[in-house]
Amino acid sequence: MSRRAPRARGRQPAQLVLPLPVNGGLSPQSPAEHGRLRAVDVAHTRLVVVGLCFLLAFCGVVGRLVDLAAGSDPNLGLALANSATWEAARGDIMDRNGVLLATSLPTRSLYADPRDVIDPEHTADRLVALFPELNRSQLLARLTHDGRFAWIKRHLTPREQHAVNRLGLPGIGFRDDQRRVYPQGVVAAHVLGFTDIDSRGLAGVERHFDASLGDGEALRLCLDVRIQQIVREELLAAVREYRAIGGAGLVLDVVTGEVVAMVSLPDFDPNHRGRSDDDTRFNRVTQGVYEMGSTMKLITAAMALDSGAITLTGGYDASQPIRRGGHTIRDYRPQNRWLSLPEILVHSSNIASAHMALDVGGAVQRMYLNQLGMLSPLALELSEVGAPLVPGQWRDINIMTIGFGHGIAVSPLHLAQAVAVIANGGTFMPATIVDRGDRLPEPKPVLSAETSRTMRALMRLNVIMGTGRRADADGLRLGGKTGTAEKIVGGRYMRNARMSSFIGVFPVDSPRYVVLAILDEPQGNRSTHFYATGGWVAAPVVRRIAERIAPVLGVRPVDPADVPRVTGPDGPDRRRHLLLASLRTAIADTEGWRGAPR
Amino acid sequence: MASAFDRQQLTLAQKFGQVRWTLLLLLTGIAGIGAAMLYSAANASFEPWAIRHIARFVISVGIMLAVAMTDIRFWLRHAYGIYLATLALLAAVEVMGSVGMGAQRWIDLGIINLQPSELMKIALVLALARYFHGVNVEHIGRVTVLVIPLALIAAPAALVLRQPDLGTALMLLLGGGLMLFAAGVRLWKFALLAAGAMIAAPIAWQSLHDYQRTRILTFLAPETDPLGAGYHIIQSKIALGSGGVFGKGYLQGTQSHLNFLPEKQTDFIFTMLAEEFGLVGGVVLIGIYVLILAYGFAIAFSSRHHFGRLLAIGVNITLFLYLFINVAMVMGLIPVVGVPLPLVSYGGTAMLSLMFGFGLTMSVWVHRDVPVPRRGVGDGL
Repeated sequence: MSRRAPRARGRQPAQLVLPLPVNGGLSPQSPAEHGRLRAVDVAHTRLVVVGLCFLLAFCGVVGRLVDLAAGSDPNLGLALANSATWEAARGDIMDRNGVLLATSLPTRSLYADPRDVIDPEHTADRLVALFPELNRSQLLARLTHDGRFAWIKRHLTPREQHAVNRLGLPGIGFRDDQRRVYPQGVVAAHVLGFTDIDSRGLAGVERHFDASLGDGEALRLCLDVRIQQIVREELLAAVREYRAIGGAGLVLDVVTGEVVAMVSLPDFDPNHRGRSDDDTRFNRVTQGVYEMGSTMKLITAAMALDSGAITLTGGYDASQPIRRGGHTIRDYRPQNRWLSLPEILVHSSNIASAHMALDVGGAVQRMYLNQLGMLSPLALELSEVGAPLVPGQWRDINIMTIGFGHGIAVSPLHLAQAVAVIANGGTFMPATIVDRGDRLPEPKPVLSAETSRTMRALMRLNVIMGTGRRADADGLRLGGKTGTAEKIVGGRYMRNARMSSFIGVFPVDSPRYVVLAILDEPQGNRSTHFYATGGWVAAPVVRRIAERIAPVLGVRPVDPADVPRVTGPDGPDRRRHLLLASLRTAIADTEGWRGAPR
Repeated sequence: MASAFDRQQLTLAQKFGQVRWTLLLLLTGIAGIGAAMLYSAANASFEPWAIRHIARFVISVGIMLAVAMTDIRFWLRHAYGIYLATLALLAAVEVMGSVGMGAQRWIDLGIINLQPSELMKIALVLALARYFHGVNVEHIGRVTVLVIPLALIAAPAALVLRQPDLGTALMLLLGGGLMLFAAGVRLWKFALLAAGAMIAAPIAWQSLHDYQRTRILTFLAPETDPLGAGYHIIQSKIALGSGGVFGKGYLQGTQSHLNFLPEKQTDFIFTMLAEEFGLVGGVVLIGIYVLILAYGFAIAFSSRHHFGRLLAIGVNITLFLYLFINVAMVMGLIPVVGVPLPLVSYGGTAMLSLMFGFGLTMSVWVHRDVPVPRRGVGDGL
């Protein structure tokens, strides 16, 4: 082909294309004839080359087919499972037993590159026909804006993606995306929080651990979703029964400081946070700070015992209300007599608690409150933590009101954290939401073991014969204290707007858990004789929670038949006799009742 | 000599006797396999694909025979006209796409949606065959001779690329290039072109759509994105592998029937076939295609005129490119580009184009000894 044939200029006569044998004749050829034959030669050579190329290509294809059919690549499925998409996904959140609480699903999201969209009107019409929830004018604005990128719709299902592909619209495409999913729904809403559509944490641990979760690190919480579910059920039932506007529930491990359950009502579904009201996202356990009321008397009693201001046999005259600087401190159920320390807690005397706080003294009170963590914000791994409200000046009236739980506002978790110190032998352990495993922080001793033991007996006593009777779970040796605080609305204490609470510890011989239940503005009903105090509405919640979670947490009850009935003679000594008998039972419970499992 | 002159005035009956029925039988065999696979793809139902596939094939056979009966010089004379008309259609869908009917690659004709880009594959073959038929073989070495054929190839390729349809653009470029080679353009010029392409590649890369770039990148390492763009290839490879030597049996393919395999009725139908009929099924299908191609080569050899030779080889090249690109794609040998498996995939225009093309091949055979003047116009008919 490279050698040129003799030149044959001008129009070729038609008859030159007449059929001739391909290899030419033997007769001498004209130059034109010679060129034509050479051309046919070249063409045939090229034909053969093309045909051989095809054959070669087919050999390649068949070879590949044999390769695929005979030994399919075992790594293909594996690649599908450990794809880069999964590795880059936001980390999972699990409860302490590894139950999945939050995970990320890979999705595909639809975007537009306005520069490549040929017909925005048409594109918008087709997309709106497919996704009726899209706003056509907004979509059109996105399709025509100046940039090179605009989201159209996030997190498409594979079926939706297929439908979009079938439209064959230019200028739109898909990006790998991920969607945060909370398989347990509402159960741990306030702890988990939620993310925005780009999987950036906006609340809860999602926000606090946003960086590490975003790097794909998994997070194991100390929450137990089983306990969480029980607490939520019981609290929700009570909120409904007493028509409360909200509630808070908490189970705290007194030894490790781990939050085993934390419920705030009303709550929301983090999968559909857009449908929830703002107030449902408010975490009443950590974010809300409240005057806790009578439950604070435990703390006053503990610091009084620990500092030596009082002994178990000591007491105060509670016959007269205290008037100080325009304020009057009264008792809810006045006994009008001298009350011993056990009686102060059993009857929940404000007057005696105020006297006791004054005896402790302002400086010592502050020191203890500080060591119990009640004067500083929680060190919890949640973004939603409230700072305590403490008086600016620490005058006598402040000392006294703080003694019975007013004039200082802390979060429910602050209270539980402090009661955990009283229960666990006297060491402060900051509360956490993350599984601590064996890595406990340095314990800070605050109270003596003796104080802790005495306080546990007093808490148990309050459940045996005091305001906390309705919290007495069979065989669980639960101790605790009620609280009923009137809420301040517009600067005034409201008689019918109250926070009714109960904080319990069980089992008192070897405390494991603090259980707290708070109802916000409960209304009494016939079954509570229209009382809505902590003893009537919150204590039964703690009892039911304790009864249900004890088997899950492995707390064995003692046989109720082994616990002696507290009885006594009638007559003027009955009250005193009953108290002493109950106290003996309480102390016996605290020491470990008849070889009860520790 | 007498017989040759007779062929100039062949009667219709004589022409009919010349038709290579074996070739038609092979084509029908392929289309039958296509119908069977489409029946399977629809989960054992003639609706919606198989029945239309059969109807289209019947119509296409009629068109093919009509084309075969038409004198080869008619096609020579109207080659440029057909090319320009198709180019106009291609431009029209481009314009219509931007004016108000949306981005369409097709024109709705009822039973099929006519895709000018598919027709262009054959129209380009016609135009190039016509051009090189008219070029004196002594002049083929001149660079200026290459200007027109390169323009003939570049114009539709550019339009198709703008749609954007990477697969068809690629086919036009490759097909045109192979035609040039078959026409006798010297090898060093291809080397020059290849060098030019290497230089142009970065620029072309810039003008590609994101999804086209993703496809090329994913091709290089599909396992890095198994849930996104690599999904097709991986699922396809799994399906091909799972078929084994003899396959899972007709209608038994799990990858396809459980919808793991996307686009199973169009571009990925070969995967489905290989899953259900295994290696044997795939090799048999490819074998039939090879027979058809062999037929095409034989006809090209037998043609006494350059136009017929180039036409037959051009149609062969088109069929080969369809087949090779599609099969190599589903096997993960080349990137995922939207090219159907000829006569098997569901799709009207590709079938129509190819059958039209084989009508031309057949016409070359029927008129293999007809004298065709170099200019082609004015004499003969």
